This record gives sequence, structure tokens and C-alpha cells, in this order.
Amino acid sequence: MGRRRQRVDPAAGARAGALPEAIAALSRSLPSGPSPEIFRRAKFDRPEATSALWQLLFRVLSPLPAGNALASLALEVQARLVKSALCSQGYPRLALAQLPEDGSQGSRELLLALSWLLARGPVPEQMLAQARVPLGDEMTVCQCEALASPGPPAPHMEAEGPVDVRHVQWLMGKLRFRWRQLVSSQQEQCALLSKIHLYTRGCHSDQSLSHLSVTEAEMLRDPEGGQQVSGAGAAQNLDLAYPKCLHSFCTPGMGPRTFWNDLWLVCEQPGLLPGDWAAPLDPGGASACSLLSPFRALLRTLERENQRLEAVLAWRRSELVFWRWMDTVLGTCAPEVPAAASQPTFLPWVPERGGGELDLVVRELQALEEELREAAERRRAAWEAKAGGCGRGPEWSAARRASREAVEKELGALQQCWERDGGPAQPHGPHRLVRREDGAAGDRDLRAAVVIRTLRSQEACLEAVLRRLQGQCRQELARLVGARPGLIWIPPPGR
Amino acid sequence: MRENEAYQASCKERFFSEEENGVPIARAVLVDMEPKVINQTLSKAAQSGQWKYGQHACFCQKQGSGNNWAYGYSVHGPRHEESIMNIIRKEVEKCDSFSGFFIIMSMAGGTGSGLGAFVTQNLEDQYSNSLKMNQIIWPYGTGEVIVQNYNSILTLSHLYRSSDALLLHENDAIHKICAKLMNIKQISFSDINQVLAHQLGSVFQPTYSAESSFHYRRNPLGDLMEHLVPHPEFKMLSVRNIPHMSENSLAYTTFTWAGLLKHLRQMLISNAKMEEGIDRHVWPPLSGLPPLSKMSLNKDLHFNTSIANLVILRGKDVQSADVEGFKDPALYTSWLKPVNAFNVWKTQRAFSKYEKSAVLVSNSQFLVKPLDMIVGKAWNMFASKAYIHQYTKFGIEEEDFLDSFTSLEQVVASYCNL
Repeated sequence: MGRRRQRVDPAAGARAGALPEAIAALSRSLPSGPSPEIFRRAKFDRPEATSALWQLLFRVLSPLPAGNALASLALEVQARLVKSALCSQGYPRLALAQLPEDGSQGSRELLLALSWLLARGPVPEQMLAQARVPLGDEMTVCQCEALASPGPPAPHMEAEGPVDVRHVQWLMGKLRFRWRQLVSSQQEQCALLSKIHLYTRGCHSDQSLSHLSVTEAEMLRDPEGGQQVSGAGAAQNLDLAYPKCLHSFCTPGMGPRTFWNDLWLVCEQPGLLPGDWAAPLDPGGASACSLLSPFRALLRTLERENQRLEAVLAWRRSELVFWRWMDTVLGTCAPEVPAAASQPTFLPWVPERGGGELDLVVRELQALEEELREAAERRRAAWEAKAGGCGRGPEWSAARRASREAVEKELGALQQCWERDGGPAQPHGPHRLVRREDGAAGDRDLRAAVVIRTLRSQEACLEAVLRRLQGQCRQELARLVGARPGLIWIPPPGR
Repeated sequence: MRENEAYQASCKERFFSEEENGVPIARAVLVDMEPKVINQTLSKAAQSGQWKYGQHACFCQKQGSGNNWAYGYSVHGPRHEESIMNIIRKEVEKCDSFSGFFIIMSMAGGTGSGLGAFVTQNLEDQYSNSLKMNQIIWPYGTGEVIVQNYNSILTLSHLYRSSDALLLHENDAIHKICAKLMNIKQISFSDINQVLAHQLGSVFQPTYSAESSFHYRRNPLGDLMEHLVPHPEFKMLSVRNIPHMSENSLAYTTFTWAGLLKHLRQMLISNAKMEEGIDRHVWPPLSGLPPLSKMSLNKDLHFNTSIANLVILRGKDVQSADVEGFKDPALYTSWLKPVNAFNVWKTQRAFSKYEKSAVLVSNSQFLVKPLDMIVGKAWNMFASKAYIHQYTKFGIEEEDFLDSFTSLEQVVASYCNL
């Protein structure tokens, strides 16, 4: 008898080694991805893998780039947000919605949800784009996002009882205040950005740029703290790097004046600026160390980005292995049970004894029950007809579909109006903001004046649409008021 | 100390712009049609040596408005619009972080009320994204100006359209504070102004923002408005502060947060203007009652229903102050829960000479009765067409009066239906 020789299947061997690598690549390509061990445990639905997967799903699904505020949300809150985000994206499995939110079970369901998301779109690439470190000050000029379809349908909300319109007006007012504050903040940012570009003229080694961007200025001012800001991926489209350094948590009370003082001191010292960093510096000064460290920090950040990129490439090369493995995971799940039918009503138990009277009572009770049920049905039908099936029923979804189509048509018309009146279509993607002398712009550069002109014409189109819609509303209101005699309509004093 | 620096920096950023030789210049524009008050104000500020008003931040003329709202609004306004708006624009450009305007004016005279309303309207047109709060002096009930009720209703109705919030101070109430709490025998305008300044200071001096307690709030006006006046129909705010007393009395009094807050709460619900003479027999209605009987109960017992309240606490051990009493749903109207209607800002740093102080900014029925009275008096005068020609002479027609009456009646009705 000798030892039985096992036939070595080279493909199987390759597969056996390839799977951990594939999962490791996936985990490296995602932000704070869990270890491959977590994935393996999730296949067997082990509870210890659950919270890591909730957190990963939260990172993937949350629309904002990760910040401290988001990471500190409780697991229950994260889980609830994940459920609602998946639901609004149309995730088909009901089992996920029924999972407890405390992270005690359900890791296999979560693994399935993650793979569903990975199959739908390029998730690691999207997350990488989100966390990109922009060195310059950027903004996007095209309005594609503004005209994209109106977004996922709002979750189904049922009001408890009648809603006081004053409460709704209150909330609208709050939204308006927030909006105005947002506009003020953006104006503040623009003004400050302009100042930085103006004051740091001539500081940059790259002649075509000539001035520092916010990230670069911040690196000089606060080498250690600066990189945490941009490395977290918070700096995006004229975003938060600058206000964060201005209203820095590390130094209470630091206002714009101290920033300028600091920065001026730095700029005054010769040889302290980006163009010279490659040249050997005077080793005697502490300034040498303080100069190199922001760039070391930047280098570290860029290296991290590179590693993520390589992980993404490795993942793309080996993902087939992962999908075959996911098939096995799916195989271990029980098939989904359709939602249970409505609960049977519980009738009171009537003993089966004989006796004519009891029979009579039984029959009467049954008749009464029939009658009540019919009456309830009639009332429900009448109410639904009256309320127009608010929020439910085929009429309502038809109405919603109609209004969505109307909105899409409006957006399409608006897009055409913009293309007609505005200048050439704006190129997509972010642009770096550079302040230049008049006439110094290159051919491929996009001039601010052109962009402003285009935006103004788009604004005019939108205002025309708004006025038209307001007029329609007014007419509709007048019609409704006219239909009710005895009602006096006092419009607010307009100007 | 770092905290000190932070506080000073916050004050400076908010109220002053920088100046070459170290003297901060107030971020303010002064407008008057007569030169006397402005000159007094400028010299008084400069005397302190600590700060001053900008030389070019003033606008005045030689001739007043004769207590005529129409003159201020229709004559002075358009005539001097460009100059005034230019000065304002220069100040706005000096701001790194511009959020809005705080406009201080009276409503009984001609310049403050008429020109003030005109300027506010212009600000709404030119700076439509900015916030605007008008601090308005409510005239003495037995004031000297015969047409003060006309001026008042015209001012209020116009401001209701162009401003976001109206912070109203009644001269009568402040007079009482001077007399009873401060024990001043001969009350001058200077005393009244001091009380006003104290109240405003206790609201607008820097406070910690909610997120972290090491950071002073950078947009107090915006935060305050968002808490109190998002609804366009309910814009009237009043201020109540505690304690308020003369230096002599202060030396002999100690305060606890519990005591201060209890008084403040009673001031709120009994519609008292100050600490003394609070009606102790007013309690909030039982929450189980249906709305109609709640309203009649309120009217009988003078209970003051609130829409929203903001309490600002400054001083020692402020973290231990318990504000649960202000979160009672019975204090508020039915359509806003206390969690949304009530906010509290706490700062460790004391204000003025008070070891502990509390101020309440309230959007409630405080001003319904006074407003109703003014509207009633103005209507009576209007019905007999008294003095109307003074206004029509300068472009304010009877239609404008009627519009004003309608708007203000609507405001009174909305507040009464809480």
C-alpha cells in the first residue's frame, strides 16, 4: 500500500495562494480595510467580523470624505445609515435590513452587501479619488453634477398625525439661514484665497505658477499639523484646508492676523521656499529641519497614495479569484424567504360544545365579524380615494413618476438653454486656481472672466425658470382661492 | 494666558478692524441728519484712548427730519443713498468674514425710523445674502412725539419685510430698571444707554461655540438667528437679563445659578420686564389641555407663550447650571418641541462686574400687547386723518398706511394664535 499520491492540480494550487492575495489587495485598496482574516470569518458568519464590516460599509457609502466627526459616530448610527443608504440604492436582500445594529451578528450578509457594491461600480478607485491630495487650490467649473438626475428617492416617511405648517415653515427658514451662511463662508474663502495668492507672489519655484497654494502655504506655516489636514482627504474643491488652519483647534484664538504674521516671517527668510529644497541647506540652523519636515510629510503622503494605487491595480488583476470565492459564500446562505403574508387575525376561541344557544351566539359573532370587516374595507377604500393614496398605492407612484419625468424634462431644457446662451462647454474635472498678471495666460488656460460670464448666463436662465414657476404658483393659488367664495386672499406686500 | 488672548482676539475680530498706530477702529457706520449726537459719540469713544470710530465712517447733515417718517424715508433716503451705501461698502470690504448687519435705530422719530427703514431696505437689495438684525428702541408710552405711533407702525411694517430679526427694547422697561434696580434718581439718556449696552453686550460678547469649548463662536448673529427667527412671520425678539444692580448692591449679594435661572424663567412666563415685581402667580398651563382652553387660560393669567428661547450664561461654574426648567414643553407653542425651541450657550468667562450672569433672548408673546396698543392708537389717529398730510406731502400715501396696518395686524394675530 504505499502512500496514496495526491494529484496536484496546479490550477488549484494557484487558486489556493491567490485568494488571500486577492483579498489582501482589496483590503489595502480600501480606506482602513479590514484584514483578510475578517473576510474569511465573515464567510462563516462569525460575529467578531461584524463591526469591522459595518464600519467599512459606512466608509464606502458615506458621501463625504472621512473626517474625525464621521469616524466617531456610534456603531448603531453607522449601521442605520448603511442600511438606509443600501436601501436607497436598491439593495435586494431583505435579510440585511433586519440585522441588529449592535454588531452582534450578520457578518456574512455584510460581506454580501460589500461584494454587491464592488460589483456595481469601481469602489476602490472612487475612494482613492476622494482621498487624493491636491497640491493646488482647485475648483470645478462644469455644472454636470448640478444637472444630474435628481438623486435617489427620499425614504418613505409617514408623519405621525397632522403636521403643523408652521413647523415646516420654521424648518425651511433654518435651511435658508444655513444656505446664506454657506454663501458667506464661500465668499470669505475666496477673499482669503485671493490674499494668499497675492501675498505669496514670487515664492514658488515653478515659474508658471509663481505663487503658493493654500496647501503649500499651510505646509510652511504649520509643518506638522498641515499634513493631517490635507492627508485626510478633506481638501477638495476649495474646501476645508484653509479655514481649518485658520480656525485651528490646536491654537485657540489664532485668527487671520497671526496667520499672516507667521507666514510673513517664513517668507522673509531667504532660501526657505519650495524652489530651494533640493539644494543643500545650512545645516547649522534649526531652520533646515523645519524646512524639510513639511516636504517629508508630503512625501510620506504621496507614498501612501502610491501604495493605495498599486493595491488597486493588484486587486483588478486578481479580482476573478475573489468573485469565485464569493460564489461559494453565496452558496452557503439560505435562500431568501419572501415577506410573510399579513398576520392572520385571531378569532376568539369558541368551544365546540353543543347547545342551541351557543350555536346561535357563535353564528351571530361570526356574522358581526364579517360585517365589521366589510365596513373597515369600505372605509379604508373611501379614505384612500380621498387622500389620493398619499405615499402609497399605484396612483401615488404614478404621480411620483410623472413628476420625476417633468423634472428631468426641465433639467434637459435648462441644459439646452445653457448650451445655447453660454460660451463653449466647460471642461470637466477640477482646475487649479492660479493668479496671473493680465495677458499672461496660456492658450490652454481657462480664464476666470470666461467662466464668470458663462456662470452668469446660466444664472440668468435659472432665474427665468424660477420666475416662470413662481408665476404659475401664483396663478394656481389665485385659482384655488377664487373657487372658494367668502375667502379673502391678501397677498404679502411685494416689492 | 491663552484664554485671555483668545477672548481678546475674538472681540477684536468681531467688533474692530485694525489700525496702524494700534488703536482699534470700530466696525461701525454712524448716520444722522443732525451733527450733535454723532460728534458727542465720536469724542466720547476717542476719550477712552482704547478705541475709536473711523473718521470717515460717519454721515451727517445739518438739517434733521422733524420727526417725520416720510421725510426720513422718501427725502433723506434717496438723496443720500449713494453716500451712505458707499461708506457701508467700505466697511464691508474691510471684513475678512462678513456675515451681516446689526442696525441700531429708534422708531418714534424721523431719521432713525424713516431713514433707518430706507437703509435696511437698501441693504436687503444690495447684500441679499447677508443677515440683518435691527435693534429698535420702543418709545415711551407717554412720549413727546405726537406722531410717534405713525412712525412706529410704518417702521415696523417696513422692517418686517426687509429685515430678518427685530430686537426690541422698550424705553419704559429700561427706565424702570434704572429707577428700581439701579436706584438712579435723575435718569438721563446716558443711564438708559448704559443699561442697553449692558444687555447687548451680554448677548453679543464672545461665547464658546457648541462643538468644542475652546473655540469662540465666529458667527454669533447667524447662530442666534437660526435658533430664534427662522419663521418669517415671527421676527420679534426681546432681551431679559439678570442680575442688574448698582455697584453698591452688588457688593452685598451672592448669586447661585439655580436662583438666577429660576427668576429668569419666571420673568419669561409672567412677561416681566425685570427682576423685581415678578408676578409669582403665573404658572404654565397643564399640557393635557386642548389648545383652545390653553389660549384662554393664557390670556387670563398673562402667561407668555414662547416660540423659541436662547439663554446665554456667563460666569463661574457655569457648567453646573441647570437649565431644565426652560425645556418644559408647557412653555412653548405646540408646533415646536423644546429640543428644537430652546438653546443654551455657556461661557466660563464672566461679563462686566457680575460673577454670574444670565441673559434670555426670547421670541415670544412679550411684545404682543405693546404692539397691539401702538397699532390701536395709530389707527384711531388715522381714522380721523390727523397729521396725515405731513406724510402724503412726502410721498407716503394712505395706501401705505393701510398696508402697514394689515401687516402688523397679521403679526399680532399670528403671535396670539400660538
